[in-house]
Amino acid sequence: MWDAALHALGVFADPHRLWVLLVGVLAGFVVGMIPGLGGVVAVSVLLPIIFRFDAPTALAALTGALAVVYTSDTITSVLVGTPGSPASGPTAIEGHALARRGQAARALSAAFLSSAVGGMLGVIGLTLAIPVARPLVMLLGSPELFMFTVLGLAYSGSLLGASPIKGLLSGLLGLLLGLVGPSPAAAQFRYTFDHPYLLDGISLEVLALGIFGIAEITSLLARGGAIAREAPLGAGWLEGVRDVLRHRWLLLRGSLIGVWAGVLPAIGATAAAWMSYGHAVATTPDRSRFGKGEIRGVIAPESANNAATAGDLIPTLLFSVPGGPAAAVILGALYAYGIYPGPRLVEQHLDLVYVIVWSFALANVLGAILAFGTSPLVARLTHIRFALVAPPLLVTMVLSAYQTTRHSGDLLALFALGILGWLMKAAGWPRAPLLVGFVLARPMERYFWLTVELHGWRWLTYPGVLAIAALMVGPTLWSLLRDRREASSRRAKGKPEGSVPGALLAILAAVLFGYGLWEARTYEWQARLLPMVASAPGLILALVQAPLALRGEVTGSELEAPPGRELVQLLVIGAYLGGCWLVGYFWASLLYLLAFLRYAARLQPAAALSYTLAGLAVLWGIIRAFGLAWPSGAVLR
Amino acid sequence: MRGLAVGLVVAVALSVGTAWAQAAYYAGKSIEVIVPFAPGGAADVGARFLSPFLEKHVAGRPSVTVRNIPGGGSMLGASFFAANAKPDGLTLMCTTSSTIFPWMFGHPAARYDLARMRVVMTLPFGPVVYVSPRTGVQRPADLLRPAVPLVYGGIAATGSDLPILIALELLGLPVKVVLGFEGRGPIRIAFERGETNLDFQFTPVYLTQVVPLVRDRKAIPLFTGGFPNERGELVTRDPVVADLPSVFEVYQLLHRTKPAGPRWRAYEAAANLTFTYGLSCWAPEGTPSAALQALYEAAERMNADPEFKERGKSVTGGYPVSRGDQVERLIQRAMRPTLEVKKYIIDLLEHKYGVRGLRL
Repeated sequence: MWDAALHALGVFADPHRLWVLLVGVLAGFVVGMIPGLGGVVAVSVLLPIIFRFDAPTALAALTGALAVVYTSDTITSVLVGTPGSPASGPTAIEGHALARRGQAARALSAAFLSSAVGGMLGVIGLTLAIPVARPLVMLLGSPELFMFTVLGLAYSGSLLGASPIKGLLSGLLGLLLGLVGPSPAAAQFRYTFDHPYLLDGISLEVLALGIFGIAEITSLLARGGAIAREAPLGAGWLEGVRDVLRHRWLLLRGSLIGVWAGVLPAIGATAAAWMSYGHAVATTPDRSRFGKGEIRGVIAPESANNAATAGDLIPTLLFSVPGGPAAAVILGALYAYGIYPGPRLVEQHLDLVYVIVWSFALANVLGAILAFGTSPLVARLTHIRFALVAPPLLVTMVLSAYQTTRHSGDLLALFALGILGWLMKAAGWPRAPLLVGFVLARPMERYFWLTVELHGWRWLTYPGVLAIAALMVGPTLWSLLRDRREASSRRAKGKPEGSVPGALLAILAAVLFGYGLWEARTYEWQARLLPMVASAPGLILALVQAPLALRGEVTGSELEAPPGRELVQLLVIGAYLGGCWLVGYFWASLLYLLAFLRYAARLQPAAALSYTLAGLAVLWGIIRAFGLAWPSGAVLR
Repeated sequence: MRGLAVGLVVAVALSVGTAWAQAAYYAGKSIEVIVPFAPGGAADVGARFLSPFLEKHVAGRPSVTVRNIPGGGSMLGASFFAANAKPDGLTLMCTTSSTIFPWMFGHPAARYDLARMRVVMTLPFGPVVYVSPRTGVQRPADLLRPAVPLVYGGIAATGSDLPILIALELLGLPVKVVLGFEGRGPIRIAFERGETNLDFQFTPVYLTQVVPLVRDRKAIPLFTGGFPNERGELVTRDPVVADLPSVFEVYQLLHRTKPAGPRWRAYEAAANLTFTYGLSCWAPEGTPSAALQALYEAAERMNADPEFKERGKSVTGGYPVSRGDQVERLIQRAMRPTLEVKKYIIDLLEHKYGVRGLRL
């Protein structure tokens, strides 16, 4: 084993390979920073070039790219509150809140260090797993996998926030959105309105961009000024490192959650990050700072998402079963080299396994160095007027969203979800449960029906199922008890007032849930159960919530400007998206950038023009380098 | 003698001439291959495996890039291809039966007409059906009387499981079918765990993942989908796994007569589209014949290329590619089976698997 490990390290003695690894790392790093682009794009952009190399070199490049995506995505999450990839959603909440308080450097350094350590622990887990993972995975059948998805939901219970009704509504809404598309157990499409765009369901990338990205940009623009409201950038870098050391056990637990979520085929880096975040919330004595910039809420998810990437590789290499969409691309590349991972891979190509292990480790180090190296520059962005940062950011987000299917539906979905995210923000609904419900909905449904079909009801007494149930009951009870104790102190804050967005959102939710129920009545039983489980309580809760919001409650609204001003910004974004659809991406972006920079950011005409042209040139470079597609315009075509 | 010499000169001149003409078509051009699935799936792997060999063997050596347009169960990408690809041979689409079946059964989202497209090249995906020894089934003859109920795990009735589901009906096997798995990999793990006991995998996966199980006596291979003769009838053995009987043979073994009627023809059509022409590459109608010829001839040269054979062994099972002009008629026929056959398939899907909205 050690011989093979050392031999594989020798692979990198060839400077050519090291160079290719670096190219992979750079590609992954840049893709990670661009909001909405994640692991799949990072490895896909390399596919056209890697087939010119031998298998170890190609694997080094792919692994390198995959390993750093969840390191660099942090930068966007912290600085602008838009997840660099869906798996850094929690960081977009906590890290960004820290950045607003002028602690961007602290959040970034804690996040980078956690990412690197999480990645390292993940790859150690990968190495140790090679001899034991097979019997372990053989223990996990459909019933156990189903229970793990339920466990994921239960752990996110601590994300519900100050008002359990709103938290539950958000989670149920996530479940319902996650069920759009094909039903796994019955041959039926749900909530697709017979439109081809919805046949495969809503994409996670577009959802994360809309719910967080659009909503955040809207608020920041409406508020005006720079992202950081207080304090100059200052030091803080060392403080972040100290934070990580102080919370080392949380870091370790976060990484373990990540590795485990990676190993499970149903649960990926996004769910891992949220579960780990939920775990951080549940284990922090003073929870009041969550949502307002709690460093523990950065450390836990950042270690988990990097570790999950390594964990994803375990089923990929040992069973030829991809642990996630990005791992599927790596698996495809291995196939194309005629390498079929599986039990025999360890015997026949152990050196290749270690090439992956070393590449992953090296890439994590390189990624952290790159991240620490570039972010002092990037962190300065938080002190520039946001009106100058937002337009190129929005333009890039639209491009990312369009990559998921290259269909104009991506633009519409982005805007619709953006409105939903903004309403949730305005009404003080936590957005985390929505993401968790969304990512777990489909695996939960799939494994529930497989379990029932394959095992009848005997599975309820399986030891593995009972063990996972025990894992679930303890922490849930504990957190409920604690909630009761804390409830009075938390509710007292703020002045109750009627909230129009709150009432609107509750009514919108009621309509969605009502439609969900109504539409589900025609489905086969297997396609109907989960939509009903999500919609029926959702409808009741929404009907309870609507009058509450109207009569007056502590909304906990996260808006920072008057709703009217925010709404104007949201409409401008909508107009730009409509423009992309109508006249195509380039003309719309040109017009939007020019108009926004001139009239909203009040730049001199010459400055606005040169900024616009420079921005478009950089975009064009990104499009060419990564082979991206752009909306070509319904009218001009 | 002189006649022969003149003939040779003419033949050489002609072949040089045609080669030159084709080189002129693709020389300095680039081909974009649209794959209507996300990276990493069977169609993507197949297309990416073919593309360097296309670069090598298409006269004029065009560069070839693969572009994934996933969504709508491949219907978005195929509709995009139909709406945007110019008939110049520079945009092709490589896909699977997942694109063909919804079009055959009139799905409203299938906004493309495969009957009007040209087949450029195809590559087989061969299936191998195997069973767990705990079922008491040792050989195909035992299939009608298993010791425990047979349980088959699949993804969806309208996808690549369809021909196998029809085969189970055709053979009259008592099988409980459980659909809803995420992919064929997780199904294999469920088989290994004993959650299911009847499964199929495509040949490269069978050779690398299932054969070790066979050696450990944890799986018993039973039959393949069969391979077509020159008339497209699935009556011969799969050349890659020639020691296993085909569905055609197993039917005769179990029922003492040759399979016939709509069930058999439904199986043939579905199996040809899913397996025999598993990966099919298409060009828009009106593509110049110079382009098509260059691609057909590339297929021929690929089959003669030792590197292609070597790499193909592990990637695809080692099947040769087929020239589009040689299989186009057979594919078009398989895509338009008789009304009776279509009715049979729709009946099976509607009544046994609850699929709705299929149109004749």
